[in-house]
Amino acid sequence: MATLDKVDVLIIGAGASGSVFASVLAKAGKKVVLLEAGPDWQPSDLISSDFWGRRVKPAGIPFLLEGKNPYGYAYQAGWGVGGAALHYFANFPRYLPNDFKVKSEHNRGLDWPINYADLAPYYDKVAQEIGVSGDARAEEIWRPRGEPYPMPPMKTFRNGQVWMKGLESVGIRTVPAAVGMNSTTFKGRPACIYDGWCHVGCPIGALANPVITYLADARKAGADVRALSTVTRVLTNEAGTKVTGVEYFDARKEKQVQEASVVILAAWAAQNPRLMLNSSTDKHPKGLANASGLLGKYMMAHYASGTWALFDEDVEPHMGTVGAQYMSYDRYDKTSKKGAFGSTYIVAGTALKTSDLGGFANARLDLFGQPLADFMQRAKRGITRLTAFGEEMPNIENHIELADGKDEFGMPLAKIVHSFDQDAVALWNANFEEGLTIAKATGAKEFWSARGNQPTIHLFGGTIMGSGASDSVTDSYGQTHEIPNLWVAGPGLFPTEGASNPTYTIFAVSQRGAEQLVSKWGTVAG
Amino acid sequence: MSEIERRALMKGAALSALAFTVGGKQILLSPRQARAENIPFRTLTPQHAETLEALGETLVPGAAGAGISNFVDQQLSIPPEEALLEARILNVRPPYANFYRAALSAIDRASLANNDNRAFAQISPQERRDFVDQMRQSKIAGWQGPPGPFVYLVMRSDAVDVVYGTMDGYSALGVPYMAHIEPTKRW
Repeated sequence: MATLDKVDVLIIGAGASGSVFASVLAKAGKKVVLLEAGPDWQPSDLISSDFWGRRVKPAGIPFLLEGKNPYGYAYQAGWGVGGAALHYFANFPRYLPNDFKVKSEHNRGLDWPINYADLAPYYDKVAQEIGVSGDARAEEIWRPRGEPYPMPPMKTFRNGQVWMKGLESVGIRTVPAAVGMNSTTFKGRPACIYDGWCHVGCPIGALANPVITYLADARKAGADVRALSTVTRVLTNEAGTKVTGVEYFDARKEKQVQEASVVILAAWAAQNPRLMLNSSTDKHPKGLANASGLLGKYMMAHYASGTWALFDEDVEPHMGTVGAQYMSYDRYDKTSKKGAFGSTYIVAGTALKTSDLGGFANARLDLFGQPLADFMQRAKRGITRLTAFGEEMPNIENHIELADGKDEFGMPLAKIVHSFDQDAVALWNANFEEGLTIAKATGAKEFWSARGNQPTIHLFGGTIMGSGASDSVTDSYGQTHEIPNLWVAGPGLFPTEGASNPTYTIFAVSQRGAEQLVSKWGTVAG
Repeated sequence: MSEIERRALMKGAALSALAFTVGGKQILLSPRQARAENIPFRTLTPQHAETLEALGETLVPGAAGAGISNFVDQQLSIPPEEALLEARILNVRPPYANFYRAALSAIDRASLANNDNRAFAQISPQERRDFVDQMRQSKIAGWQGPPGPFVYLVMRSDAVDVVYGTMDGYSALGVPYMAHIEPTKRW
């Protein structure tokens, strides 16, 4: 085992949040190293194929999945640089002001220690930095005024347009979806060609994944990315007052120690608490930064109520992006659905491929044999989907803990325990009902709910931010309350999850945190 | 990661065909070609391969000819991090062969028990359809193996993959493929 020369900043994970921190800190002149467990993918590796696209996702996971609604991990996780954002859909809705004070306003869930206004400038900054297409003015029927997006909205297609009549029939307004994609050329990156392969990674750079944005900037500024490097433990000094670096296994599976002035845990929301729990010492017997006992607690997931519709007309299901064409926050009020609680975010218009989990062969999972073949013939021209995403309230019973068994590096496995509560189930059902009402009003020939097990989408919590060490793991910037030079980044910080896609907010929270770290470097670095 | 390591990891991906071993040499073929050329199975037993082919054809017409058993066998014979199986994104724990062996054995056990001692590949097409319909609803008495609905989901996904997920599959269905980077050999 070698001990490597000390660096300023050591970032664990080269996904969405880690890339932002790397970019900001490297550009501020810090010596930055990123340790990434997966490969160093290049855009040219992103083959347009649902088969080959699976290679940017993990193969085998160090988590046991338990609870009534076990967390569906692998489809949405990332493996390698860019993380999950290498293959994300790049929907860029914001959280709204009502997401930040759920406890104060409804006596449910938790409050964030910040407001929408604290984050708004960072949404605007991220949009200018990596490129967002949309109509900010149109969105302002639901949110405070901000800066315009740097690019106009994306094109729409019949597979999205056919939903408008139905949505209007129930009073749901739509605006062009905000997406992290190029409707025009942007900073030398080309415009999207609407081929619908976003979910296996966009090799042309029309979609703002971290590899071509923040991580590329970080590398230009000197950041060192070490791929196939798996961190097993965060190291602390004898007094337990600061972290000194990490222990990891390199690409040759040899153990190394990398020392650093600041360590930022930007692995996945489940992996950060696993690492912190596995780094316990006599000074931190319950895991690092866990005086509150909340490390690994309040794990949350989104869920979707999908509605399929089949039209006689050719709606060109293959055209567009895998993100959305239209979005609506008209059901975003936490009490918008009677008998349920939580926000709903609605999107319409998505390109559909034939296979994989999101393909239209799965639109009727009950069909097989000749009936499936007949369905594929009908669907190839006329099928489209509407999706309503729902919010789950934080529940302390949904958690991560270390488990029996070890991975190939000798690190204990962890279990993710997750169950939806009655409100989430009620909201999921209510959104299916409204979806059918909407579909009926479109005049579609056939329509049905995409029912199955309640899905788990995105992952939040486990290292929540708050006002102090008694109620949370970190502050609003991601600095842990107990160890000043240990920071956490990503959606694990979110005390509530809203209902809209999280990556834009992950970027914004990370940008805010990274700038704070630069500004108070002298008091933080160990 | 060194350039050499990266190249090794991306070996199959750059070519986008699957590497089959014949006579100690690796050749690149589509699963359909591998089936046509009777490439020997490396991980599946002949019995399991036969069962999988019959099951695949029951789930998605054309899956047998598209080489579902050759595809799955080749995928089970490479390291999990290189695998392209949908099992990978359905949280099946590697080695994936364990799941396939358990699932295919469960199917044949249940078929033998419920169909006059005939394995799944030996029962009639209608009997296969009835069996699959019961399996997907978890209604097969005495079922011993991974949950029937999950077996249905994974195997149906494999069959959909080989029939509809390839460039040839898109072409046959009449859906524009529109690749940025095309898989070679239309796979």
